[in-house]
Amino acid sequence: MKLAIRVKRKVNRSWQVDSMLFLLLAAFGSFMAVPLIYVINNAFKPLDELFIFPPTLFVRNATLENFADLFQVMKNSWVPFSRYIFNTVFITAAGTAGHILLASAAAYPLAKHKFRGHKVLFTVIVLSLMFSPHVTAIPNYMIMSALGWMDSYQAVIIPAFAYPLGLYLMKQFMEQIPDALLEAAKIDGASEYRIFWQVVMPLVKPAWLTLLILMMQMLWGTDGGSFIYSEQLKTMHYAMGQIIQGGIARAGVGAAVAVIMMTVPIVTFVLSQSNVIQTMASSGMKD
Amino acid sequence: MRFKKLSLEQKNRYYGLYFILPWFAGFLFLFIVPLLSSFRYSLSNLQVTNDGFSLDFIGLSNYREALLSHESYVRILTESVVDIAVNTPLIIIFSLFFAVLLNQRFRGRVLARAIFFLPVILASGIISSIENGDLMQSVVRSANDTTGGGLSIMKNLELTVMLVESGLNITFVEYLTGAVSRIYEIVSQSGVQILIFLAGLQSISPSLYEAAKIEGSTGYEAFWKITFPMISPLILTNLVYTIIDSFISDETSRLVVDTAFKSFDFGLSAAMAWMYFAVIALVLWITTSIVSRKVFYQD
Repeated sequence: MKLAIRVKRKVNRSWQVDSMLFLLLAAFGSFMAVPLIYVINNAFKPLDELFIFPPTLFVRNATLENFADLFQVMKNSWVPFSRYIFNTVFITAAGTAGHILLASAAAYPLAKHKFRGHKVLFTVIVLSLMFSPHVTAIPNYMIMSALGWMDSYQAVIIPAFAYPLGLYLMKQFMEQIPDALLEAAKIDGASEYRIFWQVVMPLVKPAWLTLLILMMQMLWGTDGGSFIYSEQLKTMHYAMGQIIQGGIARAGVGAAVAVIMMTVPIVTFVLSQSNVIQTMASSGMKD
Repeated sequence: MRFKKLSLEQKNRYYGLYFILPWFAGFLFLFIVPLLSSFRYSLSNLQVTNDGFSLDFIGLSNYREALLSHESYVRILTESVVDIAVNTPLIIIFSLFFAVLLNQRFRGRVLARAIFFLPVILASGIISSIENGDLMQSVVRSANDTTGGGLSIMKNLELTVMLVESGLNITFVEYLTGAVSRIYEIVSQSGVQILIFLAGLQSISPSLYEAAKIEGSTGYEAFWKITFPMISPLILTNLVYTIIDSFISDETSRLVVDTAFKSFDFGLSAAMAWMYFAVIALVLWITTSIVSRKVFYQD
């Protein structure tokens, strides 16, 4: 009997440890959630409550005034507001998709085909990760200008393709795929394309879903930088920035803007995370 | 016809190049070229003229200026390096621990994951759109700034004031609040790392755990004998990411940007950036060469 209990305790974690872990998670979780709660509550605070000092975490007299004001301002924008939304969505979607595609395609041979020079190439990629975007800001501008890409979508989208972080991440993940799986596919007559699309990509699904979150989050916040001048090409981020430039009178609108801009990355995160299922990288292995 | 003579191995090499080419083309023109011209700037005196700019080669004097006569460069650089050395191991341990927790099955785990990813969302885009300097905006910023973090409302306003008023020594109070803010720094810098670890944990085959369970291993053993070795390549990945991430968003980078775009000393700024880069490269080289020896790859 004693033995049986000991075995059982070995297999299942005890509830004490479980509840301790849960408490820890909850403690840190609430710690992290404070800014979110604050920002959301701010959006519903009437103007007078926004300036209470010290600031209150929770709203007392909730109001939708801020959002109503925001829509009022949007209606009066010079270019229809939907255009800003379209710009941001287009840049985000195209940039993210292109980046994931090119980065995975490039990561595959780096991880699994040891062609000549792959080490040098990978070192260059890691080195380039270390440069902050500011270092290349000026030369980048000049290249865009020389290509004639100023004031166009591609000036923002194409550089996102070549961002080295995604390649680095994908390569690290692909390296963990057992070679035997790829060999098996090759022996069964799959072309490299097919191996890439039907073996490698499904296996690293958690990796590219992660990348999707990171890129989407980065591009969603882009304001076009120094590349976009035409009003009709500017992003939602920029337009929202303009709206809250109005100073104290726009403080409430600013809080509403923060909530709206935050929603999309959070929703993407939740959607992609709930789509992640356990992949079985080595479950086909019999050795 | 020449193609037919290639061995399988050689063919593989060409396939590799073929897959990598589109990315590499973009990388070359949009990253390497700007990088090289930045290096050229660091060795020159850049003058803005009517029709663009002119470069006079002045050798290493920009580097000399940054190191020997700039009032704060060396100090800020040292502080950055010390910060990274202290924070990085904590971030890695913390994020691995939480990734393992968040990978368990429990109700509301997607929500829990989202909460731990929040700082990353709050840190970019939205905040920069709001930090444009009036009262409301500075209040919001103080609430979400990644370095100050959400508790900075409490930290900066209430805790400090309360402690000082209760008669404690100011340096002691500052040390205390500094420690609190460092905890938050670590938590809020772990968002991406947790996500990467989670993706890694999800690619570990459940059959390994199943086998371990049948053999009667404890959760503790399963962690050290299965999870840890299987995730070790990603520990390396996260180590590199953490070091780079903290280097990119810290004081030294800000100094580099200010030198370029506020004092308009582009040559000096480029020299600072390149020296900074050399330091990061050294730090990374040391840590990765130590860690990568321990990394386990399943082949």
